Amino acid sequence: MTEIDLDPVRRLRILAAGVPGAAVTERVVAAPFEEVWALVADFEDGFGRFEPDMRDVTVSKVDGERVELLARSRFGMRARLSGVHRPGWFWAQSRFLLIGVAAHPEGEGTRVALTGGIRIPGRAALVPFGVRRAARGSLDRLEALLSPGPR
Amino acid sequence: MTDADESLVRRAQGGDTLAMGALLDALTPYVTRICGPIALSAGPDAAQEALIQVFRNLRRLREPAALYGWARAIAVREAVRVATRDARAAPADLTELPSRGDPLLGSDIRDVLRRLSPEHRAILVLRDVEGLDEESAAALLAVPKGTVKSRLHRARESFRKAWSS
Repeated sequence: MTEIDLDPVRRLRILAAGVPGAAVTERVVAAPFEEVWALVADFEDGFGRFEPDMRDVTVSKVDGERVELLARSRFGMRARLSGVHRPGWFWAQSRFLLIGVAAHPEGEGTRVALTGGIRIPGRAALVPFGVRRAARGSLDRLEALLSPGPR
Repeated sequence: MTDADESLVRRAQGGDTLAMGALLDALTPYVTRICGPIALSAGPDAAQEALIQVFRNLRRLREPAALYGWARAIAVREAVRVATRDARAAPADLTELPSRGDPLLGSDIRDVLRRLSPEHRAILVLRDVEGLDEESAAALLAVPKGTVKSRLHRARESFRKAWSS
């Protein structure tokens, strides 16, 4: 009858709805999906250039779409993140940190959605301070990285 | 619903967001299969809204084994709501359906679906796709059984003719 699929940005909105305190920040960036996702999927370099929580990351394990990362957050905490990575989708958690990124082609650009923050340990909930501001900052940096000069 | 699914629900309820992601993978095909034929072009919006309700309220689900039945009720309700809200899903009375022999009839099943109201599409999905009895379907939709019965019959007849023409 009517086959429908949910793109990664919709998935991110859904999962974030199940995490009290989480906010989803979205923006359409003027770059092709492949370019955007190449930056996100470069966990040890590209990702940390726009997302402070992903600076100083080491990939410790990859098993299919499951990944394990060691990260040092902007607050200096070490985090062992377990997550899932697919094209257009990255969602990972540690005891203290949650981070989700989704991207989907839209028009000639790419819609990027971000969520995450400091976790209330042992719960699917985030400390609800500054999450939107932090995400806006990450998206600003992402846009700057994708637009190094006149095209 | 397997033991593994039940374990996934419990882990998700306990705050494991990776289990929530795995649960979303498991629920998405089920919810989209319900929302698609009811909400038509608004299907992705309806499925998104339904799954947001599911995850927002997941901790209230006392019995993990009831997950799919619970999600189905939410999916149908959200699909009808979104389709009704959506201007593209302008409901029409079933008497406007083309009669047998009308060349329009076999041409586009989606067009036949579009002519039904979202509530009628929901009844078709619940009865013929999900296999619910008429009473359960009407109860789930909060629609009186008697008033939908004859129209359901006509809708199904129209589909049968459309598929076989």
